[in-house]
Amino acid sequence: MFSEFLTQNLQEFWHLTGFYNATWQHLVMLVVGLFFIWLAIKKNFEPMLLVPIGFGILIGNVPFNTTAGLEIGIYEEGSVLNILYNGVSAGWYPPLIFLGIGAMTDFSALIANPKLMLIGAAAQFGIFGAYMVALLLGFAPDQAGALAIIGGADGPTAIFLSSKLAPNLMGAIAVSAYSYMALVPVIQPPLMRLLTTKNERLIKMKPARAVSQNEKIIFPIVGLILTCFVVPSGLPLLGMLFFGNLLRECGVTNRLAKTASNALTDIVTILLGMTVGASTQASEFLTSETICIFLLGFMAFIIASASGVIFVKLFNLVLPKSKKINPLIGNAGVSAVPMSARISNNLGLEYDPSNYLLMHAMGPNVAGVIGSAVAAGVLLGFLA
Amino acid sequence: MKKRLLTLLLVTLACVTAVSAQGRRGLRLNEVMIANDSTSVVDDFGRYSAWVELYNSTFAPLEISSVFITNDRSNNTLYPVPLGDVNTEIPARQHVLFWADGEPNKGTFHLNFTFTPGEDNYLAIYDANGLSLIDEIVVPGNLLPGQSYARKADGEGGINNPEDWEVRDGSEAKYITPSSNNIIKSTNNKVDSFAENDPHGFAMAVMAMCIVFSALLVLSICFYIISRIGASVSRSRKIKALSSDDEELADHHHEQDSGEVIAAISAALSEHLDAHDRESTVLTINKVRRAYSPWSSKIYNLRELPRK
Repeated sequence: MFSEFLTQNLQEFWHLTGFYNATWQHLVMLVVGLFFIWLAIKKNFEPMLLVPIGFGILIGNVPFNTTAGLEIGIYEEGSVLNILYNGVSAGWYPPLIFLGIGAMTDFSALIANPKLMLIGAAAQFGIFGAYMVALLLGFAPDQAGALAIIGGADGPTAIFLSSKLAPNLMGAIAVSAYSYMALVPVIQPPLMRLLTTKNERLIKMKPARAVSQNEKIIFPIVGLILTCFVVPSGLPLLGMLFFGNLLRECGVTNRLAKTASNALTDIVTILLGMTVGASTQASEFLTSETICIFLLGFMAFIIASASGVIFVKLFNLVLPKSKKINPLIGNAGVSAVPMSARISNNLGLEYDPSNYLLMHAMGPNVAGVIGSAVAAGVLLGFLA
Repeated sequence: MKKRLLTLLLVTLACVTAVSAQGRRGLRLNEVMIANDSTSVVDDFGRYSAWVELYNSTFAPLEISSVFITNDRSNNTLYPVPLGDVNTEIPARQHVLFWADGEPNKGTFHLNFTFTPGEDNYLAIYDANGLSLIDEIVVPGNLLPGQSYARKADGEGGINNPEDWEVRDGSEAKYITPSSNNIIKSTNNKVDSFAENDPHGFAMAVMAMCIVFSALLVLSICFYIISRIGASVSRSRKIKALSSDDEELADHHHEQDSGEVIAAISAALSEHLDAHDRESTVLTINKVRRAYSPWSSKIYNLRELPRK
């Protein structure tokens, strides 16, 4: 009798274990999670993002009995993971990240040379190019809009928009966006070499003028009013971005700026990365749609980087010789701050060791952040 | 001081007005049935009573307790929605149904008046002050039993505008929808419209890129103008600060003497003249005296270790 009782309970417990509930899909996802962690630790690819995402994938794909009502899965209402996931599903983590980005970002390069903002706008063509291809592949307009935003190369924006337009695709979109951001150093340089001539790569730009404190204070205020009057649906992202920047630049809220750019951003990045990773449960993630999303994301990223470089080349046709722009900074129009600006700088130095492009590239780079938030607002306004 | 106080008052007033405008102003009369002939919905006592549907047209929950509902033009405060009932908070874009059975003792959602079938029936909702009209409508007297008078689209249209309302007879095309949307949507109209009219996404790409470009172009132009204004202001300040001779000198310096030029001239002079500064090499060390203060004493800032 007692042995029967023991056997029955042990059998029930065995049915609850991961070993009993594991499927090949779980194992594939666990390998993906381990690959992300390996990329982050060994290859140093965006470790701040890929470690939480990779570990989140492990957490989200530990197999368990979903019918036991244990309240442990990320999609089970009331579970701890579900509570943390609310910041992603309701879309309030991304604006908090934008607050931190605003508090970290120095817009001086952009203020000193405002025409660089147009490069940030041109790079957004990647989003809408991917939108057209996604429609061709049979995605509905709202799903196409959600996955096209990967071309903006801005993780928080991609999560924000996909949580509104296509929540079921959000895990794949977020992982895809962050993966391509991590692969910027691999994807962009060959493309930049392909689209530019040697003479163009050697163009030296004039050092940017010094920007006054007043201009830095005016920028977030005017920026908010102008962009949000045009695209009010971008308010959560743009509002927080410019608010964070005002905290940084006004000079009287250093403590708040420090918290927003350090502690707050770190906390939200941990939660965002981990929950986005955990949302990639095998049953939701391993579908043919996910493969399409990764391919489309890659294409969007290529189009975005290329359109930034091509736009600079076209722009140079109308600029006087003394004010020509080095097209190597065109790739920085995709936000991926500051990685893509660093790529511009490194490539510039490769061809001319005295040609430092970093500060020039930071202009389109931060304009790309604004541009992708505006583009997300446009898609949200049209399709939500 | 008075000026500051006045500004603060104005700002507070603006905020209060804005909050009020965003709140109960979004409450709408949405559908009314004057005579319920047993083909429609029953109340919680199983009776067929006339009903009034209110709709929260905002995208935030709306608390309607202490709002007044009336069918009497001379009495704005005929039925106050009672306080203390959790069901008086209408979720965003949702409805609540009131029974016009003249029996308020049956519960929060039973009005203290009834309608008169066959006559025009006035219906209005007023804000908690009893003065601010939120919405009103005159339900036409030709409404037959079992017919409702409803907004064509939920919460849309103006106040007391019969063009936004229609008679519904319960047929397939004119269904009656107590506590439900007047127009039942199964898909997102915007998405459907794009899927139908822009299947390749070209229009979206053109429109969206124009918007993104124009937003950043406007910002770019704005900052170009601001930087020009800033430069001209700082220049005019400099001019004011300097005398005319100094000004010429400053311009001369500004144009030619960069740090590199000065360094080159200095190096050339040094080489040519072999001139070096002679320094006194006298070092003076003064003792700094600080008066004692308990505020700066370390012992007052440290907690003592607890005694074992």
